[in-house]
Parts: sequence; structure tokens; C-alpha cells
Amino acid sequence: MGSAPSAELGQAARRRPPLPVKIVIAGGFGVGKTTAVGSISEISPLTTEADMTAASLGIDDTTKVPGKRTTTVAMDFGCITIDESLKLYLFGTPGQDRFGFMWDDLAIGAIGALVIVDSRRLDDCYPAVDYFERLGLPFVVAVNRFDGLVAHDLPSIRWALAIDDVIPLITFDARDKLSVRDALLVVLDQALARARAGR
Amino acid sequence: MTHHPPEPPERPKGALVRPFLATDTEPEPEPETPVADSAALRPFLLTAGRVAGQDSIAIETQVVTTEQGRTAAGELGFERRDIVSLCGNPLSVAEIAAELSLHLAVVRVLVGDLSADGHLSVYLPNADASTDVDTLLRVIRGLRAIR
Repeated sequence: MGSAPSAELGQAARRRPPLPVKIVIAGGFGVGKTTAVGSISEISPLTTEADMTAASLGIDDTTKVPGKRTTTVAMDFGCITIDESLKLYLFGTPGQDRFGFMWDDLAIGAIGALVIVDSRRLDDCYPAVDYFERLGLPFVVAVNRFDGLVAHDLPSIRWALAIDDVIPLITFDARDKLSVRDALLVVLDQALARARAGR
Repeated sequence: MTHHPPEPPERPKGALVRPFLATDTEPEPEPETPVADSAALRPFLLTAGRVAGQDSIAIETQVVTTEQGRTAAGELGFERRDIVSLCGNPLSVAEIAAELSLHLAVVRVLVGDLSADGHLSVYLPNADASTDVDTLLRVIRGLRAIR
């Protein structure tokens, strides 16, 4: 006799899914994005293929960009269950240092972004900073302390990145769960201030 | 014999926004994302070439199999059946793509189809959630609870 389909499955399917919210984790290649996601995600970071629109740097003038194209890239992500009805996803932008990318797919509807920086290769994060500035998404620049070291002091980094004084610039350790949590909380503070000000 | 170091490569026009840090060491070229050849599968065959409608389904969109989907699972084609089998509990479109090693765009089309056929319930994310003070406060509380 075959048994009836599991009643448990029926129960689960009727459960209302959590409301998903997301934070974008951006930065150049090898700055620790996947490490940061993995440190705090309740699942091991997953990878999926996605299409991204690539464009040359400084794309205010899109009509003159010949290199604009769609590429398939690997994207890493993880998640944190906030409570039974709210789930936070962390999407890592595919690492690309030489090109600007349209991350609209990841960024539209996001709470904000954490831009991770390697202080030895500051200009790798220019595309991300440019992109979030233009999009008007709340973001925080977080210098990853590789081996506890930061190559420049924060004021120099702020100057070099030419970011506004209102953009938080912090240091953190992508391998440390609590350090990643605190960095995300700074993103949340920015988003909350923005939301309270009525955008 | 004098040796002139090679001229640094010209920055593309328009890249003058943040020129302050000219790197003296050329960063290592990024390895090509190793996905080009997996296109041997021609992922869009699975969707009969359709790519429409993918913009409407955000990557964090939650998907759950319906009663009807569970009943019909056996009659569905491989990828569709896999999705229906996987989503007994709510999953995001991104998680489905990762679990089944399918391209995100392919999953979007298949999820759209399965939803139109009544096999899946699709819960589009609330566009205002990310700017809603109460929601943000809940996320903050949830993150603070992480130890």
C-alpha cells in the first residue's frame, strides 16, 4: 500500500514565507566579500550564475560607452533569519575591478550596501562607491583589516576615495562574525536615518 | 643604457572622478569567471528561449509549492519538477538557482511559468520594506541578537 503524501509537507506549504530584505556586499575582487557573507550567514554561502551589465568606468555618458555588454558572472550570497517572518539576504556583487557594473538586480529594493575595501588597493572600490552614490542607496565603506593591518589611516582613505563626510568609513574583520554584524548595523543605522528623514 | 619605465595605461575617459590613487602596482587581472563554458548546456533551451518577465521576479522573491504543484510534480519536466520538489518550504529564487545549479534568469522564467500554471505561489517582496522604519528596527534587533 502506498502511503498518502506527507501531511507535514502540506503544513509547511501553507506557512507564509518570510518577508525578504537584502543588503548588498560590494567591493573589488578578493576584498573579502564572500568571507564576510560566510562569517555571518546561517547557511554556507551559495553561488548562482547571474547576468550583469558591464560598462566602462565613468558611465555618466552611456551613449559613448562601446564596451557595454551583458556577462554571466558567479554571485555569492547568504542569509540570516531575523525572526519567523523576516529574513535578511546578503548578496555579494561579483568581483570586478576594471569595470563598472550595473548591479540593479541586487541593489533595487535593498536596505543598503556595505562596500568592502582593501586598503592596499583602494581604487578597486571606486565603481561600487560611484554606483551607490548615483543610485542614492545608503552605503558604508568598510576597510577589511587583513591580518589586523590597514595600509593607510582612515582620514587618508576618506580623502583618497573622495567620499562625503556623511558616509561612514569603518574598519572591520571580514572573518569575524561580530565584526561583520557591527558593520551591517552601521548600514542599518544609515538606512534608518534615511527612512526617518522620509528619504 | 637608460631604461624608461612603460607609460601607465591611460585611464578611460570619464574615469577622472576618483583619480587620486594611481596604483603603481598593476592589480592582478581578475580570473575569468569560470562560467563561460557551462553555457554548453544552453540554459535557455529549458525555457524554450523565453526570457520575458524576468524583471518582475526579484532574486529574493519567496516561492512555495502549492497543493496542486505537489500533485502535478510527477508529470512535470525535470527542472520544473525539481523546483516544485524543492519548494515545499519557502525558498528565494536565488536559493533555487543555487541549489539546482541553474542560471538565475532560467529560474525566473520557470518560476513564472509554474506560478502561472498554479504549481507555485510566488510572494513578491514588498518594495517599501527596505525603507520602512519598523522593518529596519526589526532587522537591527535581529542583528544585535547575533552572538
